[in-house]
Amino acid sequence: MSIVKQSIGGEPVTTKLAMKMEDSMQAFAVRAACFIGELDVPYSEEFDGHDFGATHVIAYVGDEPVGAVRVRWFQSFAMPERLAVIQRFRGNKIGQLLIERCRKLAETRGCNMLYAQVLPNDVTYWEKQGWRRLVAEEAGGAPKRIVAMVRAVDPSKPLPEVEAPESIVLRPEPQLDASGLPLGTASN
Amino acid sequence: MSLLNEPAGNQPVVTIKLASTSDELMQCFALRSAVYIGEQQCPYWEEFDGNDFTATHLILYVDGEPASSMRLRWFGTFAKFERAVILKRYRSMGLFIPFTQWAMEFARKKGYSRVYLHSQHRLWPIMERQGFKKVDDKIFHFSDHEYGAYYCDLAIDAKDTPTMYSDPLVLNRPEDQLDTPGILEQSVERGATNPHAGWSERRSN
Repeated sequence: MSIVKQSIGGEPVTTKLAMKMEDSMQAFAVRAACFIGELDVPYSEEFDGHDFGATHVIAYVGDEPVGAVRVRWFQSFAMPERLAVIQRFRGNKIGQLLIERCRKLAETRGCNMLYAQVLPNDVTYWEKQGWRRLVAEEAGGAPKRIVAMVRAVDPSKPLPEVEAPESIVLRPEPQLDASGLPLGTASN
Repeated sequence: MSLLNEPAGNQPVVTIKLASTSDELMQCFALRSAVYIGEQQCPYWEEFDGNDFTATHLILYVDGEPASSMRLRWFGTFAKFERAVILKRYRSMGLFIPFTQWAMEFARKKGYSRVYLHSQHRLWPIMERQGFKKVDDKIFHFSDHEYGAYYCDLAIDAKDTPTMYSDPLVLNRPEDQLDTPGILEQSVERGATNPHAGWSERRSN
């Protein structure tokens, strides 16, 4: 585990769970800045209908909200997603801090597995933090748009081998239930 | 809601309304976060400065997608327009001027005869073409940008301007629909049963 910087420019780096409307608002502002402002994601895709069934974690530098992640809870895993850090605060391992906070949160809730859907370019970032591909990469296979990755909540209790799913369904349209997720295939 | 252009062929449909639900308010905040925090690196606490819950927010949609928003604050003698943003992908559509015109019409119908705003230096020619005049020659700066104060007089119509003597139920209407009967006018049909008539002011000892 690499060491996470505890302060930036003399300001402490902290994380907290969104508990109040203002907290959630800050998480949404960070995501809107990164995904809508920087990456040009449409509002209706970014705010997809899952925000009020999820837990939000916010990272602060001093009192400035600079990062956020959303965790959705499933029967057999917790799913961190929408990880965002404001551009000028990147390179300080704030994303790692947020994911670690998700891991601890999952631990306190008796959850064994974290599951994430990751862009191919980000796979190395997640691997460095102890994640592995749910399905081994096929040699010569067609490049995937999204890679499913998993991580044991407690590293001393590695996950059993999970069966490879036929495919992972990603639904771009708002789905207000979890039916688009590989529930049966990513369990331990 | 208003249609700026008729939905003909593949023309995008543009609608503008008062942000009147928490979802619409959240959309305004998301647009401002995208533009000011995401694109212009504005710190969170400068963008959300404590005045959002004393203000009126307007939102503009392009084909149903939130594209632009503006914040209006109401002073004694003028309305102050602030925090006008357009998402990058919608910036070439010429939305700014019709949106500002809509906001001016909104303020005018409320009875405001003057709009005031701080305009970034680069936008001065656009404001002047819209009939805005400089308040004075002062240039001031905040949040890394230089501004000048501008104002524009609105032609209010004495007979439509809300006053104390306007129909009381007209004053209760949603503010972007002052011309249309509102939900409280429908409630008139239920009559006045005065259900709390027997209550005294003190509810406990």
